[in-house]
Amino acid sequence: MIFKIEDVTVYFPYDNIYPEQYEYMVELKRALDAKGHCLLEMPTGTGKTIALLSLITSYRLSRPDSPIKLVYCTRTVHEMEKTLGELKILHDYQVSHLGAQAKILALGLSSRKNLCVNPKVLAAENRDSVDAACRKRTASWVRALAAENPNVELCDYFENHEKAAENALLPPGVYTLEDLRAFGKNRGWCPYFLARHMVQFANVIVYSYQYLLDPKVAGIISKELQKETVVVFDEAHNIDNVCIEALSVSVRRVTLEGANRNLNKIRQEIDRFKASDAGRLRAEYNRLVEGLALRGDLSGTDQWLANPALPNDILKEAVPGNIRRAEHFVHVLRRLLQYLEGRLDTENVEKESPVSFVSSLNSQAGIEQKTLKFCYDRLHSLMMTLEITDTDEFLPIQTVCDFATLVGTYARGFSIIIEPYDERMPHIPDPILQLSCHDASLAIKPVFDRFQSVVITSGTLSPIDLYPRLLSFNPVVSRSFKMSMTRDCICPMVLTRGSDQLPVSTKFDMRSDPGVVRNYGKLLVEMVSVVPDGVVCFFVSYSYMDGIIATWNETGILKEITQQKLVFFETQDVVETTLALDNYRRACDCGRGAVFFSVARGKVAEGIDFDRHYGRLVVMFGVPFQYTLSKILLARLEYLRDTFQIKEGDFLTFDALRQAAQCVGRVIRSKADYGMMIFADKRYSRHDKRSKLPGWILSHLRDAHLNLSTDMAIHIAREFLRKMAQPYDKTGTMGRKTLLTQEDLEKMAETGVQDMVY
Amino acid sequence: MSNQRKRPNGGEREEDDEEDDAEGIGQWERAYVDDRSWEALQEDESGLLRPIDTSAIYHAQYRRRLRMLSAAAAGTRIQKGLIRYLYIVIDFSRAAAETDFRPSRMAIMAKHVEAFIREFFDQNPLSQIGLVSIKNGIAHTLTDLGGSPESHIQALMGKLEAAGDSSLQNALELVHEHLNQIPSYGHREVLILYSALSTSDPGDIMETIQKCKKSRLRCSVIGLSAEMFICKHLCQETGGLYSVAVDEVHLKDLLLEHAPPPPAIAEFAISNLIKMGFPQRAAEGSMAICSCHKEVKIGAGYTCPRCKARVCELPTECTICGLTLVSSPHLARSYHHLFPIAPFDEVPTLTSSNDPRRKLGKSCFGCQQSLLGAGNKPGPCVTCRKCKHYFCLDCDIYIHESLHNCPGCESIHRPKSVSLMEE
Repeated sequence: MIFKIEDVTVYFPYDNIYPEQYEYMVELKRALDAKGHCLLEMPTGTGKTIALLSLITSYRLSRPDSPIKLVYCTRTVHEMEKTLGELKILHDYQVSHLGAQAKILALGLSSRKNLCVNPKVLAAENRDSVDAACRKRTASWVRALAAENPNVELCDYFENHEKAAENALLPPGVYTLEDLRAFGKNRGWCPYFLARHMVQFANVIVYSYQYLLDPKVAGIISKELQKETVVVFDEAHNIDNVCIEALSVSVRRVTLEGANRNLNKIRQEIDRFKASDAGRLRAEYNRLVEGLALRGDLSGTDQWLANPALPNDILKEAVPGNIRRAEHFVHVLRRLLQYLEGRLDTENVEKESPVSFVSSLNSQAGIEQKTLKFCYDRLHSLMMTLEITDTDEFLPIQTVCDFATLVGTYARGFSIIIEPYDERMPHIPDPILQLSCHDASLAIKPVFDRFQSVVITSGTLSPIDLYPRLLSFNPVVSRSFKMSMTRDCICPMVLTRGSDQLPVSTKFDMRSDPGVVRNYGKLLVEMVSVVPDGVVCFFVSYSYMDGIIATWNETGILKEITQQKLVFFETQDVVETTLALDNYRRACDCGRGAVFFSVARGKVAEGIDFDRHYGRLVVMFGVPFQYTLSKILLARLEYLRDTFQIKEGDFLTFDALRQAAQCVGRVIRSKADYGMMIFADKRYSRHDKRSKLPGWILSHLRDAHLNLSTDMAIHIAREFLRKMAQPYDKTGTMGRKTLLTQEDLEKMAETGVQDMVY
Repeated sequence: MSNQRKRPNGGEREEDDEEDDAEGIGQWERAYVDDRSWEALQEDESGLLRPIDTSAIYHAQYRRRLRMLSAAAAGTRIQKGLIRYLYIVIDFSRAAAETDFRPSRMAIMAKHVEAFIREFFDQNPLSQIGLVSIKNGIAHTLTDLGGSPESHIQALMGKLEAAGDSSLQNALELVHEHLNQIPSYGHREVLILYSALSTSDPGDIMETIQKCKKSRLRCSVIGLSAEMFICKHLCQETGGLYSVAVDEVHLKDLLLEHAPPPPAIAEFAISNLIKMGFPQRAAEGSMAICSCHKEVKIGAGYTCPRCKARVCELPTECTICGLTLVSSPHLARSYHHLFPIAPFDEVPTLTSSNDPRRKLGKSCFGCQQSLLGAGNKPGPCVTCRKCKHYFCLDCDIYIHESLHNCPGCESIHRPKSVSLMEE
């Protein structure tokens, strides 16, 4: 359908549109007009992606003089493919209506592992080794060597791509990763380098968060993007954590040992070069003396490392004299490693600010801040000079240099925490030195500064006013949309008491109470006998899950559950969890029914959907607060309080509730779906907790469902499931329009949106 | 309308049940609580209590159903399988003992299956039913295919008890084994009443479903508690209906929906000639050993025209020579499904008062009662499109649901067969 939003003609590939999609587009358009950032919350399953894509592409078409570019960031490769799939449908529709002028170039960009077509490279098992295998065949010196020695193996795809040089272009269209691979194979061009090359010409780019947020990667991939770019972060409820992780480094014993080995290797290489080709080292030294930009004279493929987010003035400075010579630099690193080893030998937990860390480093190891700052760049240059291709083996030393550079660069927003053992296992010594970032705005600041509009969107962004504070930006639009439904297909409940009327909670002083454990168990036993197919349970932590399941096993509750449904667990092992999930789905398919025990903040809670019969009920046992004794969390809370005036309690509740919302939101992924959500903790009935849930859940949470005991919940569940099993009318009846046609929209344009929708 | 009436009803019932659990009211009270007779009363203008006039609502519902049926039938010449072989599978697993239907799910199931069996044979005299129960994860044959409602009902009511797991696959395998031998003109159907929410199967149920699909078993499921994916999948694959009962009345409606023959799947429905015998009823005093019970019986029985064996009941299959034995009324009664009476048109009440025809038919042509409602205002009535006679609503329902002939059309002097052919 084609309709107008103010002055933009929107091309929408489907015949009907949900009212919230329309509203979403209106708000988004206003943000684009204002050239500002925006924050939009809309429940999953309402077609957020297509609304966003069709508005932005239509916006582009309506402003031919100032073409905007769209950068769409997703969390997983799977989401990337889904987005590109929808874009393809949209693109076909637009082309069929507008002809060739609507043609765009859209592509997905991912790591070599997902894009490579060379079977020999792909044989490597993980991402780092694929990268290394690729470099072994494509680095400039390898290719130079191959020119003399035909036995050196090269990658044909890369060679062909290089031969085509500037002519290696993708014709306009939408390319998923699969399409890119097929195209590359067909033409004999390397899809990875082709995609990298095409990024600067593409109208729409879909890639992972890291390509924009992780400064190490962003510097290479995203540096050529223009100012008139709309950046979209989809599923962005955890964006602050992604930002923080991008700038946090942890160093363990094994890292240091590895780094030492790396240094020895580098040392040997230097000696070898000295003997055979002293000129190279000399040339590098001279270049550094002249203060040339490091990457300026290196060919494109060799840019495999870049500096972390450095303020611009540092880039202009020259590398300090004491590390310009390769041997000296190795000495500096050796001293740094020794110092770190010494620090790790501590018996107490230590917490330090970067400033005091640097000063003690200076006094004890004689390395000053400026030197630290350049470690990463210097290492990069050195490895390039030494022609090292197997970069995956040099990860430890890179980590250490990354650490050094970050410590040297930032005086605020970080802290260094040294823990001699894991808090939960105090008898096993496992020292770890963490540089943890507390300020999510550091990593995302360049993105906000550089691009015209940044759109942050997700199904759960409540409370919506906290995100601008955490990321320190000013949104021009921030809104939360409700879901229009033909029937009440979600049924959230707050369960506060067991059948015996005793309160249930995972509060620290109550969680090990046998009564609470028993009541939780009884709840599940009763529920599995009422709910068909799949049930998903979320616990607050692995240790709590282990404990409660052990107790259930002893008291026979687990056995009662298995009479009704099979039981599967999430573990910290990815392979095991995948297997468990696979079997869980099979059990749901064949009608045996299954329960999946999972952990909030775990892998499953974040990325796996339990839609349709795979999740008819999700039970959230307790409030998933973070482990509040963790040193890192405490440091972060302190920082948030001092810098952003966010109270500890507020942040903890916010974080816990968004995790809870994220968990229960797994169960419903489309409007035709239905599911129940049980929040089993008495604390959820308190207003300050509950009000932080997203609006689309709250609007279905009836007052009568706020303070339930197990038997009442069972009864409601029975009624709800019977009601939902009845056939229903998809278009909506009784005045509640949930699918709008073209005429409806035209009418709406006249009368105004609000009175029509709600 | 009916929905709105039900909703507050459901809400209150919740509270009732909680009270019940707490205090445990007596059985005598229960009858009233379940019946909710006070809700069927309303006050009229003068403040008197009178029962709510539900007939109009009821009629509206019925007409909607009728229209739906005829809409589905319109356009294509519909084929219906008149000779049905239906297995009713009743799930007597642990879940059937639950008491959310009073007194228990299994009692309610048995009660309505009984009614269904009678209705079924009434509408499909040529068809046969068999009963299968699931208990302890194993499927048992209660009765083999047969045409006698009494024997089925007896077997069903025999022992009502629920235990163990449920297994959909076992039941399907058993039924499949039974039905696979049915000749191709017969329509193979399974109706499953499923109260459990899971199925513990020995093997891969998907294979069994494919097997059923291949041998054209039409599987329908009525769930008693919630929607299950596997049941939905089964029904989708085999072309059956899947529904979940909300309460007892709904369960009954859902069951009875399966009584009229379903439309035959076009590609499989090849018309066949079937050999049938029309046995004579034996003379009153004659004595013979019947071939079905192996007992000596005096009178009351039929003699197979081919092998002269004695059988007790019709319709059946001769145990000696295998001939299908029916009587002519059976055939006639099955016939109406193919030629349903067109739905009657509703007569608009206001304009019709001036209509001269209306004056003629002041009374219903069916029951001869006056069509004028209270206060001499014309009440609601309908008219047959063909003979233009007027009928009251009760007769409308009776004609369409039980009689299957329009008295008006029948009384016009015309050869009946011609009028039927025209339709």
